[in-house]
Amino acid sequence: MAKVKNKKNSGLADKVHNKRKMDNNKKKLNPFEVHINREKLKVLGKKSKHDRGLPGVSRAKAIQKRKETLGTEMKLMNKTNTFIDNRIGEKNKQLSAEDRMIARFAAERQNQRTKKNIYNLADDEVLTHRGQTLEQIEKFDDPRSDDEEDDGGVKFGGGLGDDFVDGHFGGGLLSQTDSKHGGKSHKDLIEQLIAESKKRKADKQKEKEQALDLTEKLDSEWKDLHPVVFTKMRKEDKEESAIDKLLSQAEKKSFDYDKMMRELRFEKRGTPSDALINDKKQEKEEKERLEQLEREREQRMLGEDERVVVKPQQAKPKHRSAEDLDDNFELDDDKEFMLAYDKDGKPLVPENILKDFSVPNTRPKFDDGISDTSEEEEEDDDDDESDDSDDAESNEHNEKVSKQNEDSDDALDTSTEAKTKRRKSKSDTDNDESDDDSDSIVPQNNQQLISKNKTNLQNGSAMEPDRKKQRTEDKAKNKNESSILIQNTKDKESDDESNENGEEEDEEESTEEDEDDEEKEEDFNDLKDLKESDVDSDNEMVEEDVEKIGSLFDLASDEGDKLKELLSGKTPSQQSTALQSLIKSYDPSLAENNKDRLSRLFAHMLQYISDIFTDLKDESDVLKSLLTFDKLAPFFYDLAHTNKVSTKKYLVELLKEKYGNFKKRQKRVPDLDTLIFFKLISLLYPTSDFRHPVTTPALIFMSEILISCKFNNAYSISRGLFVTTLILEYTILSKRLVPPAINFLRGILYLSANTSVLNPIEVVPPFKLHRDAKILNLDTDCSKMDVQNKMAAKDFVMADIDDDFKIRCLLTSSGILREFFDYFNDIEAQQYLFEPHLKLMDRIDLDLYPKKINKTISGVVQYMKSTLEVKTFSPLCREKPRPKALRLYEPEIKEVFTGSKSSKQLKTRYKREMKGALREIRRDKSFIASVKIRQKIQSDNIRRDKVKQIYKDAAIQQGELNKMKRMK
Amino acid sequence: MAAVQQNLSKMISAQLRNKANEFLNSRKHANNLADILQMFEAETDNYTPLLLTVEVIFTELLRRGDLVEEIIPLKPAERSPEAEYKRWLRECYEAAHTRAIECIKRGRTNSRLQALVTACKLMQAEGKHPLEQSTGYYFPSVKLKNIFTTLLDSETSMSAPLARFQEFTEYRDVQQYGLKVLSTIAYRKSPTSIYMQNYLELLDKLLICEITMDNKGKLKERDFEQKEEKLLCSTEDKAPFPYNPGVCRRYANRCWGFACQWPLCDEPRSHRRALALLVERLMPLLTKPHLATDMLCDSLDAGGPISMLALQGVLELVRTHNIDYPDMYDRLYAMFEPEMFATRYKKRLMHLADIFLSSTHLPEALVAAFAKRLSRLALVASAEDAVGLLQLVANLLLRHPALKRMICYEDSPNIMSTDPYVMEETCASASRALGSSLWEVCALRRHNVPALSAAAARLLDTGAARAAPKPLAPQDLASSFDAELKRRFKTIEMNFVRPQGMTSSGDRVMQYWELMA
Repeated sequence: MAKVKNKKNSGLADKVHNKRKMDNNKKKLNPFEVHINREKLKVLGKKSKHDRGLPGVSRAKAIQKRKETLGTEMKLMNKTNTFIDNRIGEKNKQLSAEDRMIARFAAERQNQRTKKNIYNLADDEVLTHRGQTLEQIEKFDDPRSDDEEDDGGVKFGGGLGDDFVDGHFGGGLLSQTDSKHGGKSHKDLIEQLIAESKKRKADKQKEKEQALDLTEKLDSEWKDLHPVVFTKMRKEDKEESAIDKLLSQAEKKSFDYDKMMRELRFEKRGTPSDALINDKKQEKEEKERLEQLEREREQRMLGEDERVVVKPQQAKPKHRSAEDLDDNFELDDDKEFMLAYDKDGKPLVPENILKDFSVPNTRPKFDDGISDTSEEEEEDDDDDESDDSDDAESNEHNEKVSKQNEDSDDALDTSTEAKTKRRKSKSDTDNDESDDDSDSIVPQNNQQLISKNKTNLQNGSAMEPDRKKQRTEDKAKNKNESSILIQNTKDKESDDESNENGEEEDEEESTEEDEDDEEKEEDFNDLKDLKESDVDSDNEMVEEDVEKIGSLFDLASDEGDKLKELLSGKTPSQQSTALQSLIKSYDPSLAENNKDRLSRLFAHMLQYISDIFTDLKDESDVLKSLLTFDKLAPFFYDLAHTNKVSTKKYLVELLKEKYGNFKKRQKRVPDLDTLIFFKLISLLYPTSDFRHPVTTPALIFMSEILISCKFNNAYSISRGLFVTTLILEYTILSKRLVPPAINFLRGILYLSANTSVLNPIEVVPPFKLHRDAKILNLDTDCSKMDVQNKMAAKDFVMADIDDDFKIRCLLTSSGILREFFDYFNDIEAQQYLFEPHLKLMDRIDLDLYPKKINKTISGVVQYMKSTLEVKTFSPLCREKPRPKALRLYEPEIKEVFTGSKSSKQLKTRYKREMKGALREIRRDKSFIASVKIRQKIQSDNIRRDKVKQIYKDAAIQQGELNKMKRMK
Repeated sequence: MAAVQQNLSKMISAQLRNKANEFLNSRKHANNLADILQMFEAETDNYTPLLLTVEVIFTELLRRGDLVEEIIPLKPAERSPEAEYKRWLRECYEAAHTRAIECIKRGRTNSRLQALVTACKLMQAEGKHPLEQSTGYYFPSVKLKNIFTTLLDSETSMSAPLARFQEFTEYRDVQQYGLKVLSTIAYRKSPTSIYMQNYLELLDKLLICEITMDNKGKLKERDFEQKEEKLLCSTEDKAPFPYNPGVCRRYANRCWGFACQWPLCDEPRSHRRALALLVERLMPLLTKPHLATDMLCDSLDAGGPISMLALQGVLELVRTHNIDYPDMYDRLYAMFEPEMFATRYKKRLMHLADIFLSSTHLPEALVAAFAKRLSRLALVASAEDAVGLLQLVANLLLRHPALKRMICYEDSPNIMSTDPYVMEETCASASRALGSSLWEVCALRRHNVPALSAAAARLLDTGAARAAPKPLAPQDLASSFDAELKRRFKTIEMNFVRPQGMTSSGDRVMQYWELMA
């Protein structure tokens, strides 16, 4: 209780205190001015606003208000002229003063833009920057002269000797006369002064010039000195790192110097032209690009697979209004289609796209004349590179000790050094070879790529990545060199050969360009003669080739023959160089229709490959063809990249033709002249795509081969295995299921298993139970036999099945089987797919096979069995659909409420307002009346005064007159 | 050599044409006919020009009516040279016809076919311009009989001529008279297999036009038919052809009756042909089709393609004749083996299975077993077959909602160590397929053929919304290879790594093949 009371008390005190404060704030009211309205009915708890009023104050307010409104109006009544305030923003109370200024300024500027001075662009206004006019800023005053002049000025002011002052201003006559015993006249003194000042001026000028000269000299000397200092610095760094502790003190001393040196060094800036993206960055970008491409590839691999499940997308309406501004809608730019042109200059795009887009019918631009510069650039590049590497190498030879702490700024150097380091680590004999390899390959490739890239300047950005790619690949090659030891010596020799050729080629090329035109005119028959006089030396061969190349596309009809002529009778590597120069000489940048020519060349090369793979009789032929193919494959890639659309068309046509041939004799496996193209396709196109214009049909073709052909001899089985290997290669990334390949492996296992009629194991067509069974079955003990672990080229031409072949077949198919098996590790159906294989493999008598192979195969079997054993089957279930939310009811809210109550209210309000308005009008009237009466009174007073004055004057006058009368 | 021969034959045909023209223009060259007929004696393998000439001559003669002998009753034959000539011409005509029929057996296929066509053309000409006046519809049945006797040869297979003969059996009159003639000459005690083949094939060809079954609305159909049907030997001024389906059926039954007595089922080829004939053409015509039940049941047990054919007959019997067949579905179940892909009747089998399994009174376990087995087969099938199989499975799932648990298991999924489904079980209902899931379809989603992969995805999606089962898509003749080639692509993706030779990233060829020795 006490507490509550307490609280109450305290509240009271506060209130009182507050009230006092309030009272202080308020103006003190005169109690006589307050009028208390009497309440007729007292309602408890009702707060009345109008219980008291200040009649005097409110009346004064009202009168004041009327004065301002009605009064002014009355003043202007019946007057023709009015005063209107049109200042901008004056009436708008919301604008601040500054805003008002801005608005006025803007209006001012607007006014200046009249028709007259529309072309008078900012002539008269002076632009400023931080208060200074631009002219002032752009004066480019020599700063040094500035302060010196200032100095001079100061001196001039302060340096005036007393003599000077004396001379000019007399210096007081008295003192002068006192000191004028020496007898110098005033005039002399002045002259002396003038001479003195002149001399001083001249001195100063001289001094200034000398200083300027010196500065310039210093500058130039510094520039000479700069590189020396620069390299020296680095060397010092190295030495420090090497000797480290010993020199640390000396280092500290020279620290300030170094700091200053570095600051100075920052002055040197490379010009933008020789900006080099350093290797690390390059590598990083390259890596990013590859990753990006890889991501895209994976996206394509998933393909519609995912989309189908999601739900068929609703077809978007194609209709688009002409006035559609596309502001609200996302445009359905599915994917950019590739714009390419055929030889007539018509765009090669699907018609539906043509309909949607208006494709300007222009020819692709080729930048002629760029080739020359490109040549130079290449050479420059080469020089640079070789210089760099030379430098690096010499550096290394000199200072082997200080390798680790390379300056990170100079990444290019580092990388080359690193390369050479790696080479160093190898044996000396190896060293030479590898050096040759990389050196010659890099420039060649670069050259080629650069020239290629010049062609499509439109996508010039492709240039960098390509080159980078080349570089990284080369590096990879270097790294892997140790692993390529398997390569036979023969291969290496051929490599060397090609390199030599390449070098010669390079020399040749500089002249080739000029000769090209002449050669084209040369008679074709001469060439044939030349060709017949076959000369052995490569040099002449190359020359000859050049000539042939020149005339290759003269006649459209026998291009193919000529290409064949060009390539036949050479080693694969020679063919490669010939082709390289051919492609280079018909670079799309050189002539308008070269792109078209190159795409035709692609077709002829396809034909050539097809030709060399037909009717191969013995192993050496096969090997030679394969080697040739190996050498030519990269060019297919290049050509396909120059003209994607037409090369794809050629390949598809080829596939169609081969498919037609295959369909004619379905039971026979197509020969290598068909199969090799599957390999080519896998080299050129991504095989993992869900759908691809080339690879999908190729894969279907291959699976059809495995479905419908009969496999009962060495010819068919070897080719079947080859196709299966290719299918494996096609699906290695996408891990797709190709049942024919798996069935084929099952068939092979069946053929090599020891099957009996009594308890057969099912096989899938084209293999049939009890037919051709056991043709691959090993019936003699070969455990001592030494067998290669790969299928070989000779298998393609093998006539009869021998034990060696049987063993290798089984080994290879079990290897492939394992890879296929691994595809489906995450899928339950793996068991159904591979159980029959396991059963068949159990029937194979592995003891007869060589030990190593026995081990491998049983390893595979073991692996598959163990994987299948732990396989679990979880029932398929689908994601449960989300439960639907209950519908909730929300109150309906109406914005306008109209009821009877409000109308009553309105009526009373109206009444009140009406009353108020009438009262106001009445008061207005009384105000006007009062004003009028006041005016009237005032004018009456004035008149009365005037009358009084007149009377007064007249009385005075009368008085004076009377006075004068009296005087008389 | 070939060129010389060609020249020779050209010369001969030119000569023949000249001779024929001369003969037809004036009677002076009557001997030309004799010469021409004489030439049939010569041994060659190509009678085509000769046959053509004969055809031209006699159709012209028949058209002109030169062969018609006016026979006045009760009057001895005339002895005038005119009559003699006519008689000689008729003899020649008969001789030419027999010669032509003989040629069906001899020589090259082309010439054989030509011989058949000539014989039929002559028959047609005779039918149009009969040699003797007759009141009714005239059809030269004797000529037809001759042709048939040759076609039903016991030693040589007549498949090629018979195939050609199909163009004539499409005529209604040929069909009706043909069946009649065949029923008269068919009887034979112990025919050779080739004879049986020929016989069955001929019968098959004769029944190629459907014979209407119902007697209702006969009149209407009459009218309809008269507009529609083709008649070989009709002309405007002849009596209308009295086509009678009932008669046709009777004759067809009689023909089949003869065939039934032969050991049709001994040799698989004739067995297959007989079954195909029975199932495709004869079943609706037979008066007592249940008599074929034994044959069909035996065939159903034979296995392979024969049982697939028999299945259709059994289906017909079960559906329309209330035959109760034991283990029907188990037999059907057993037919779905990997070997079925090698047979020609796989599409028929799938179609039949779709019909069989559309019954509403099937236990779910059985249907589930079928679904499981079909999808198991789809794993090893070629893409085209697999699409059909998947469609079949999809239909099963749509018709039997309880099978939904095979693609989306409602209860809390418990992980099993093995698949509860037993593939080896011969009894479909006992294979415990309902507890299993269609994991095979999941695997097929990874198939390399995009269309198939999409089909599998769709199948897995059928659980969401129930749609009407689709009929098995008629297998488009264009293979998926062509379909893929026709597809348009917006971009052509390329590899982004330049190959340094045959090897590339992810290379497997080099891993398993030593190609660059």
